Amino acid sequence: MDIRKIAVLGAGRLGRGIAECAASKGYDVILFSQGAGGQDALRRIEKSLDRKLAKWAITESEKRLILGRISYTLDLKELSKVDLLVEATIDHFYTKQELLRTADHLCRPEVVFISTSSTLRISDLARGINRTDLLVGLHFIPPVPSVPVAELVRGTHTDEQAVEVARQFATRLGKQVVEIQESPGLVNPRTLAVLVNEAAYLIDEGVCDAYQAETIIKRAWGMTQGPLEMADRLGLDLVLNWMEQLQEVFGPRYAPCPLIRRYVRERRLGVKTRLGFLAYTEDDALITEGESTQQGKQED
Amino acid sequence: MNIFVLNCGSSSVKYKLYDMKKEKVLAEGRVERVGQDNAVITHQPIGGEKVSKAMPILEHTTAIRECLNLLTHPEHGVIKSVEEIDAVGHRVVHGGESFSDSVLITERTKEIIDSLAGLAPLHNPANLTGIRAAEKIMPNVPQVAVFDTAFHSTIPPHAFLYAIPYSVYQRHKVRRYGFHGTSHKYVSQRAAELMGRPIEELKIISCHLGNGASIAAVQNGKSIDTSMGFTPLEGLMMGTRSGDIDPGAIFYIMKQEELGLHEIDSMLNKHSGLFGIAGVSDMRDIEKAISDDDRLASLAFQMYEYRIRKYVGAYVAAMNGVDAIVFTAGIGENTPSLRTALCANLSYLGIAIDEEKNKIRGEDVEISTPDSKVKVFVIPTDEELVIARDTAKIV
Repeated sequence: MDIRKIAVLGAGRLGRGIAECAASKGYDVILFSQGAGGQDALRRIEKSLDRKLAKWAITESEKRLILGRISYTLDLKELSKVDLLVEATIDHFYTKQELLRTADHLCRPEVVFISTSSTLRISDLARGINRTDLLVGLHFIPPVPSVPVAELVRGTHTDEQAVEVARQFATRLGKQVVEIQESPGLVNPRTLAVLVNEAAYLIDEGVCDAYQAETIIKRAWGMTQGPLEMADRLGLDLVLNWMEQLQEVFGPRYAPCPLIRRYVRERRLGVKTRLGFLAYTEDDALITEGESTQQGKQED
Repeated sequence: MNIFVLNCGSSSVKYKLYDMKKEKVLAEGRVERVGQDNAVITHQPIGGEKVSKAMPILEHTTAIRECLNLLTHPEHGVIKSVEEIDAVGHRVVHGGESFSDSVLITERTKEIIDSLAGLAPLHNPANLTGIRAAEKIMPNVPQVAVFDTAFHSTIPPHAFLYAIPYSVYQRHKVRRYGFHGTSHKYVSQRAAELMGRPIEELKIISCHLGNGASIAAVQNGKSIDTSMGFTPLEGLMMGTRSGDIDPGAIFYIMKQEELGLHEIDSMLNKHSGLFGIAGVSDMRDIEKAISDDDRLASLAFQMYEYRIRKYVGAYVAAMNGVDAIVFTAGIGENTPSLRTALCANLSYLGIAIDEEKNKIRGEDVEISTPDSKVKVFVIPTDEELVIARDTAKIV
């Protein structure tokens, strides 16, 4: 089947990133969200494109073309029109399964479902739907438009052709697809969780501050974005959620550092609240170390 | 002999049907937005009524089939059946070092075109899709590939090599290839015809100035140098492309602006040139802005002219002289003010142009005065005719 129109369920950072990336590669995208802030999704995608325009990565006409390919709706009946479904909601098993079940009734039977879940097992999610064989796990890593790799997993009953559809989709999005075995946390979230957790302990123990930890890790390992900024951009609530789920499966080595719990309790969630491990401007830009000292003092 | 000329892009198909007995176009047209529900096909039988319709065209085979349906249509068609097409000529952008001339398409030809996709990622795969689609519809009709790079295959190594480690050339074939070859070939041959002299004894500088722009030194009928290089980014200032720039400046900009490869590539290809300086990429808009006293538009125009002038000077030196300069393509054919400014700055070559002739548009015209030491021509380019001629010659 020729895939031209895709549905993205979830208008959070991951969903918006997939929508933007897919639209920029020529797909028509319907973005669905029932959560708060969904209405804001198109504006945020436009903002992301404006940042690219300012960096000369796209032209004004390309920006208009990309935005023209994305529509936003609350009406799930629109799912009957799509050729591929990408679920990108937060990793809560029952919420996710309920949504997939609804989509299962509304989408054409041959439509492949992609779940971006990183901590839930595809085989478990597939149990609640009829198209058990058409559910594939494809974990995109934010910021989706610029991270060139995606992790692919298949469930116990996933059909080879469905895997191929997901693989081709991700390849067209410019991602190198690496297929790994089904396991909660996959590779990226699991290793990132450990790295973030260890950095949080270092900060909590007073060995270094967040900026120092970030600078050392980022520069030493040649990263364009350090783990603390990554965590802030994901949202510390989400990172905490990952760790708790990983702890359930793998035991205490994923027990979240108390500092992360404290930050989440204080609604110090990262970019979305302008302060996490590091501080951010209204435009989501990282505030440099000197500027942050000032802001940190105000916050404390 | 009827030759069907195809130029397939990633989402477009352009075609012309030629009757080669008289070298006459019978019909031409294009399909835009291939791959979408709302593709638009436009067909113009020469001397007949233009037809345009929107329809879903999801891939190139359907697009070409629709073109052929219109060419054989009882009302809008110009031939009775597809059997009247004797050969198909395909424009292929990159022939790498493998093709120095047009060739009959075989399985091996297709393999090589495919293997060159890395050198022309936007063009060669689309050209190959067009070839495969045409073969599918017309399996018994010979197909010919005509390469944009082939005319420049005569450029000698001292001109096509970059002064970087030779192993980079050996490993990755990084060298000057040049583009617009079909156009440079056509206009230089036409200039020789207009001069009434064999091209084998002439030194011609050909200026293809469109949204993309390149200049070629054609000595004795052969390209000996051209301004575009490994990619179409090198050389002259263009509509949105920077042309020549110090590579050191690129590294500095990337560091200062924290740009990645994609961003700097996009900046140099899509945000630079006339657009980068003046905010508009179309020379007509530049001229209008100049008439409104726009300082940056004037500057962009001066830069554009100056860079052409530098290349003309370089190619006069490369050929140790010049007999004719030819202007072609959108800007080259339609901007008399540019030709005036350029030629005024080339008076040391003994060039003088006739301002009245310089205003003539849409036809082959010699714009230099009879006593000008170097002939100057405006020749509308006709790349499709070269493709049709090469195809007819090969089959």
